[in-house]
Amino acid sequence: MLLTQVVLNGILLGGLYACMAIGFSLVWGVMNIINLAHGSMMLVGAYVTYSLYSRFGIDPILTLPFSAATLFVMGYALQRFVLNRVVMTSIFFTLILTFGLDMMLINLNIALFTADVRSITTWYSGMALDLGGVRLAYTRILVFVIALLITFALHQFLKWTRTGRAIRATAQDPRAARVMGIDTAHVYALTFGLGAAMAGVTGSLLTVVYAFSPVIGDPLTLKSFVVVILGGLGNMSGAIVAGIFLAVSENLVSGFLNPGFRDAVSFFLLLIVLIVRPTGFLGKSSYAAART
Amino acid sequence: MNSRRVWLSVLLPMALLLLMLAPLQVNLYWLRILSTAFMFATLAQAINLIAGFTGYPAFGNVVFFGLGAYSAAIVMAKAGGGFALGVVVAVLISLVTVLLVGPPLLRLRGHYFAIATVGLNEMVKALVSNFSPLTGGGMGLSVPLPPWNPAESAQVFYYLLLGVMIGSILIAFWFKNSRLGYACRAIRDDEVKAEAMGLRTTTIKTAAWAVSAMLTGLVGAIYAYWFSYVEPPAVFDMLIAIKFFIIFLLGGAGTVLGPIIAAFFVEYISTMLWSNLLDYHLGALGLGIVLIALYMPHGLMRFVRERGLSAAALLKPKT
Repeated sequence: MLLTQVVLNGILLGGLYACMAIGFSLVWGVMNIINLAHGSMMLVGAYVTYSLYSRFGIDPILTLPFSAATLFVMGYALQRFVLNRVVMTSIFFTLILTFGLDMMLINLNIALFTADVRSITTWYSGMALDLGGVRLAYTRILVFVIALLITFALHQFLKWTRTGRAIRATAQDPRAARVMGIDTAHVYALTFGLGAAMAGVTGSLLTVVYAFSPVIGDPLTLKSFVVVILGGLGNMSGAIVAGIFLAVSENLVSGFLNPGFRDAVSFFLLLIVLIVRPTGFLGKSSYAAART
Repeated sequence: MNSRRVWLSVLLPMALLLLMLAPLQVNLYWLRILSTAFMFATLAQAINLIAGFTGYPAFGNVVFFGLGAYSAAIVMAKAGGGFALGVVVAVLISLVTVLLVGPPLLRLRGHYFAIATVGLNEMVKALVSNFSPLTGGGMGLSVPLPPWNPAESAQVFYYLLLGVMIGSILIAFWFKNSRLGYACRAIRDDEVKAEAMGLRTTTIKTAAWAVSAMLTGLVGAIYAYWFSYVEPPAVFDMLIAIKFFIIFLLGGAGTVLGPIIAAFFVEYISTMLWSNLLDYHLGALGLGIVLIALYMPHGLMRFVRERGLSAAALLKPKT
């Protein structure tokens, strides 16, 4: 009974992890940028939601468009005016840049919101679906469904829309894309903005199921990284499966071994994957196949 | 006489002499700042070995600092060993860790490697925080106090850290000119070609990281004795990592003296920031990293030289 509870909760959390990983994967796959500030961007989204909730009482789920918009603008500007200057020079410096940005964002969040741990309680927070003894909180189910919907929406956007195809074209071959008339600088900024928006949205969703503070960004970035490696770069279904796998593993370790080891699980899985199968388990990359 | 020779034959010995005589003139506050600068200079030199010479940016290298600090603390507090034993154990634990995680992690290319090392740091931090009986868990571990009074203690640690820093310069110099160093630079410049030439890249990379880790672990052990207290957030702190990384960047990757000079500069600025802008200390360091990555990616020395501001250029008569 406890096992079922733990596993089911893990599955629900996995949706969130998939959503967070897909934004990270987009930026990585298209621009080869590993955004170390991804987790902190999630927290910016979380704080946008928190501000709207505490000041105006808006339900967290309804704040999603706001955090998405805020982070999109922030991401677009960051890429266009800051990251773009180094992204074509060296991967090393792009990494260092996002590392520095991560620190700045953490400090910004601490300065604006203090390091206190916060969470959001809604009118439906305590209620749960009771399935023969196993209680599934409505908040978790809601977050799971929305996270998956958004992940799916992004995937469809990339597949079917003109802009989505422009992004994929630029990922495959930037020069050919430019020859085709695609404004690659704009596409890159757009992609990063999208990745940031995904982070923001996931952060907002996080607020209803988790306690958060400015410093939890780094473990979240790491988890995104692990999900992408497990599931394969650019692979949506891979991200979902890997996200669920990671979340369930974390819950099992946390529930039956020691809650303090939760964040260590992601790294441990990473080590195992690296030793056994460095290219990940679930598939080939679809964005940046040529760029390993 | 070019500027390099001016440095090495005149200024460097003068600087060293000044540093050695400093405790006689300088008050305890500045001694502590200098000692901290020495500590960070050594840490920056250590990361220089793996990131600068070999091209593998181990952002999470601070994990060895923490492991060293905890090893020494456990030896001194729980096993009743002395400081020397603590240092030896610290270095050994760092070595063993690298031998265990090195081969799998070093398979990752540069930037994936960086994030994996951050993860390593997080994982070890979590493990240490949860093995309370041995490590004191989140409450930390108190180390037996050194036998000297505060004034003497400050001097002892000053000279100890100065010695270690000088040692790190020698290690970097040896490294740069050894076969290992050449192999590492080959790997940094083009790993595929290096392998094609027959270099056993995994072994070489692990060796470089091992030297880096042992040096870092040594510093960690000294830290534990110096501060007499260790706790996970303090010794596995990414803030330490970011600081020695920024020093390493500023000093120029792959140089021998760069990290040392940059360390004094950054430590001074860091102290000023800490005393005046405490709330923004982290953000300011982050901004520093961003600015360096954007404008001075090859370090201060190259930046200065390219703009004709170096000593040699300024001393040249205008024709």
